[in-house]
Amino acid sequence: MTIDDFRTSMGAASLDVRRSAGATTERSAFAAAVVPLRQIPPTYPDQPPSPERLRQIDRAFFGPFFREKYGAGGDRALQNHRIRYYGPVQPSNNAGELAGRRYVHEFDTMTGLTRGWHETLDQMGNVRLIRPERLDGMKRHYQFGSNGRYERSW
Amino acid sequence: MELNLQAVRRVFEDVLSGRMLREQADRWAHAVVQEEETGVVTYSPPHERERIWAGVMYLYGIDTMTAPGAYLHTDDDIRKGMIASIDAVGDNLAGDDAAGYRATAAMHHRT
Repeated sequence: MTIDDFRTSMGAASLDVRRSAGATTERSAFAAAVVPLRQIPPTYPDQPPSPERLRQIDRAFFGPFFREKYGAGGDRALQNHRIRYYGPVQPSNNAGELAGRRYVHEFDTMTGLTRGWHETLDQMGNVRLIRPERLDGMKRHYQFGSNGRYERSW
Repeated sequence: MELNLQAVRRVFEDVLSGRMLREQADRWAHAVVQEEETGVVTYSPPHERERIWAGVMYLYGIDTMTAPGAYLHTDDDIRKGMIASIDAVGDNLAGDDAAGYRATAAMHHRT
């Protein structure tokens, strides 16, 4: 869900409220009988937001810092407080089953640390190669089979 | 560091002509990304920032391999990548000597 989805939901909810108000005016005598039980559990200030809600907040809050630079291909909030930003897939037309590569940038919302790597995808969208880089600039390729199993590195 | 489209295009051209190794182009782009992270890169002109950055991000990782000694990208991939990133809108730069590359790629698109 994106921040736009939130806005859409909020708009729809507002519309429902207005409709309910109109209905109440017409049928005030029965209003108490038709009001449904509240489906959404109430939230309290001392109640921590759900992990899913936290991930949504993280994506919305940190998006402007990274999405433009690294997230042209989308972004995803992970369960470990990290957000991954995916660059566009740069196609390769001469690599058989490999479709292309993209740069992935990961931001840890708890520590503020970032890291990035290049990954090569096959035509099915599976990650077949990743190329992380050490701080000293040393690059290494790790290759995986179509089943996701590690094969070799160089 | 000030960066413009010509500088990025020059790196593409140097790679395609063999004047620069892909590994060197990757390191050049990596250095730009590092500088960008510290906020010391300025883009000239500022409104071209998106294209300049797209070109840099293509060059970053341009030496990715599928096997030891075998690059993922062909020269044709790189030529198309250059057009897709920095020539996406089309421009008319003074002293632009990349017209040949664009013409070649355009011919390739037609075939």
